[in-house]
Amino acid sequence: MRNWAILVQTDVETQSLGVAKALKALAEKEQPGLVILGKQAIDDDANQTGQMLAALLGWAQGTFASKVVPAEGTVAVTREIDGGLETVDLKLPAVVTTDLRLNEPRYASLPNIMKAKKKPLETVDAASLGVDLTPRLKTLKVAEPPKRAGGVKVGSVQELVAKLKTEARVI
Amino acid sequence: MTTLVIAEPSAEGVKVPTLTTLGAAAKLGGDVHVLVIGQGVGAVADATAQVAGVAKVLTADAAELAHGLAENVAPLVVGLVKAGGYSHVLAPSTTFGKNVAPRVAALLDVAQVSDITGVESPDTFTRPIYAGNAIATVQSSDPVKVATVRGTAFEAVAATGGSAAVEAASGAADAGLSRFVSQEVSKSERPELTSARVIVSGGRGMQSGDNFPLLEALADKLGAAVGASRAAVDAGFVPNDYQVGQTGKIVAPELYIAVGISGAIQHLAGMKDSKVIVAINKDEEAPIFQIADYGLVADLFKAVPELTAELGKAG
Repeated sequence: MRNWAILVQTDVETQSLGVAKALKALAEKEQPGLVILGKQAIDDDANQTGQMLAALLGWAQGTFASKVVPAEGTVAVTREIDGGLETVDLKLPAVVTTDLRLNEPRYASLPNIMKAKKKPLETVDAASLGVDLTPRLKTLKVAEPPKRAGGVKVGSVQELVAKLKTEARVI
Repeated sequence: MTTLVIAEPSAEGVKVPTLTTLGAAAKLGGDVHVLVIGQGVGAVADATAQVAGVAKVLTADAAELAHGLAENVAPLVVGLVKAGGYSHVLAPSTTFGKNVAPRVAALLDVAQVSDITGVESPDTFTRPIYAGNAIATVQSSDPVKVATVRGTAFEAVAATGGSAAVEAASGAADAGLSRFVSQEVSKSERPELTSARVIVSGGRGMQSGDNFPLLEALADKLGAAVGASRAAVDAGFVPNDYQVGQTGKIVAPELYIAVGISGAIQHLAGMKDSKVIVAINKDEEAPIFQIADYGLVADLFKAVPELTAELGKAG
């Protein structure tokens, strides 16, 4: 087994489709049996890259996974869906995107961070992958949403019920 | 300009996320077609044909579509888009839509705009970023615009008043990549979180799943759904489908009662568009009070039963 990291470098603004194309090129070169990604980035919340990668590779996708059980040639993925949980059996190779309850995150300890510096890191220029990373979406504007003004503190349950009835009129 | 809306799979009737996605489609203008997928969905298709503003309903009725597997649904949608010349494909921001739509977009070689909250023009949309702390206006340069729609941001269209033609869509096939095994769906008599008028949510302050019946009693008094913060779900108090927040469900009820929830930014991202927010927390410094319309600094184990009793009295 080979343990190493690959860093794909580009100065282009990365968007989900372009990233998926870069990952596809890497997957075709490295031939992994399973690709695991997070389900959504914490900044743009796009929730797209894993699904797009699976589409481009023509592989199965197990999104929002809370349990992953590999078997011979397949992997069973339990997915967190709106109504509860769903288990699907995917043909390998496949793409899995993770949800919060998949496992306990393993945080890097200081000794491991030191050791990681010695691990092989392969840097790949995105241009060498031969994929089109041109952004398709243009951000025209970023604005602050309307602020919610804080309200009042009430002194008792009775006061709360009275306000909900007569002031807010929601009950 | 014609928009194809992928309906939220349904065993009966038209789901609310489909109606709110149609609300976004109406803002685009142009004709709107709805794709109903599943197995034995004839009655659902007929109900969809009654929805206001729908020009045509396409049904894809096949065993391999019974569970909405993205590997089977996406090629079908792509075939329809290519044959039908659709300018837009919209899906609800549900776990179904979020799973399928990016697969459709990638197969069409177009970008997806996720979780839109506004339509500025046929190619320009608003969407929240940074956990809802900023609203981005984005323009797509692609020939087909694929987007998922945040249900709380659009009015549901009327479920009646339309009389669309229903047509069978061809092109369904089993991609042979995935197979449905099982589903564990939470059974509840209470309303669904994403369409409830009132929501009662519990956080880490509930201390244990054994204490959630306190919230359920209150919820039943109000006809409310029960939700939870990520902390409560991660601690195993309640199942994952209760989670309200950035990576869970986005809700905007008339009344949101946050109990024992401190108000982490990830939670606020899922509920801060609620009309009226009530917070009950014993920590008066809890950030939830900064956005709550009514805050009660109290021990929830005393205050919640008292509130339930008070509502019973008055009601």
